[in-house]
Amino acid sequence: MVLITGGAYQGKVDYALEKFNLSRKDIYTCSRDKVELPEGAGIINNVEELVRACLDNGRDPLKYLAARKSRWNKSVMIVNDISCGLVPMDAEDRAYREAVGRTTIYLATEALAVVRVFAGIGKRLK
Amino acid sequence: MNVFISGGAKNGKSSYAQDLAVQMAKEKKCPLYYVATMIPHDDEDRARIERHRRDRNGMGFRTIECGRDIDRELADREGVFLIDSVTALLSNEMFRADGTVDSEASIRIAERLKSLCKTHDGLIFVSDFIYSDGVEYDELTDAYIQGLAIIDRALAKECGKVVEMIHGFPIDYKEERANYDDWTALI
Repeated sequence: MVLITGGAYQGKVDYALEKFNLSRKDIYTCSRDKVELPEGAGIINNVEELVRACLDNGRDPLKYLAARKSRWNKSVMIVNDISCGLVPMDAEDRAYREAVGRTTIYLATEALAVVRVFAGIGKRLK
Repeated sequence: MNVFISGGAKNGKSSYAQDLAVQMAKEKKCPLYYVATMIPHDDEDRARIERHRRDRNGMGFRTIECGRDIDRELADREGVFLIDSVTALLSNEMFRADGTVDSEASIRIAERLKSLCKTHDGLIFVSDFIYSDGVEYDELTDAYIQGLAIIDRALAKECGKVVEMIHGFPIDYKEERANYDDWTALI
């Protein structure tokens, strides 16, 4: 698994498509209302939304992912870096941001490579 | 060489950009310009501009005041140009004085600055990294953030040096390529 991180609109998906020679049909886009990660996606985009879906359903995102490694350990995972704003006023939003941070660290530990995309350009962190 | 610099607030972008501009002008033995992009709206703005202008005077900058259409302003000039900031260029053109919004502004500015990069050597762009706060904004603010990203990405592609400033340290994104011979082996 390769983890791609970076801020919003920085070109993370374009970067993944180019480097891994994949096409848009290989992308699975996580969303708050999709509670199960499917098997075999080439690119798993918006991992932060999967974290949100886990929290909504009372699941620990780390445990959820750790128990289903086969669904993502051959994928490119893309997560939005949302770590740099003010502490959210809302308790649920605070829990969400923390969970995204912890999940990103977990995935970065598991990943063979971690890339941060900045203004369309990638830099390998691992 | 043209340079793109971004990063969060108070991470040293402007100081780094100014030092780099001074050094580049010295090496190239050419005039040094500061392109002031902020359009003042009140006395507080004017006082701040005056303060910044005095600060820069000692460094040898000549100031060009230009908040819009900077490609036209710079077309026939030669030198090192510090353009601080891309963020202001977009807001000046996207949000018109009459309250309307120019939704084409970002694409137009990206194209024009890209062309400017092809004819000039010695442009230093300073932008703001506003993409990692995780806040869900209203449609207009989000369009602005997306628009700035379009310009940033175009500039980063075009510039020979791309720098993210963090705590006063420059991280060079073009110096060390993230390429791997066989990326597909990693998944």
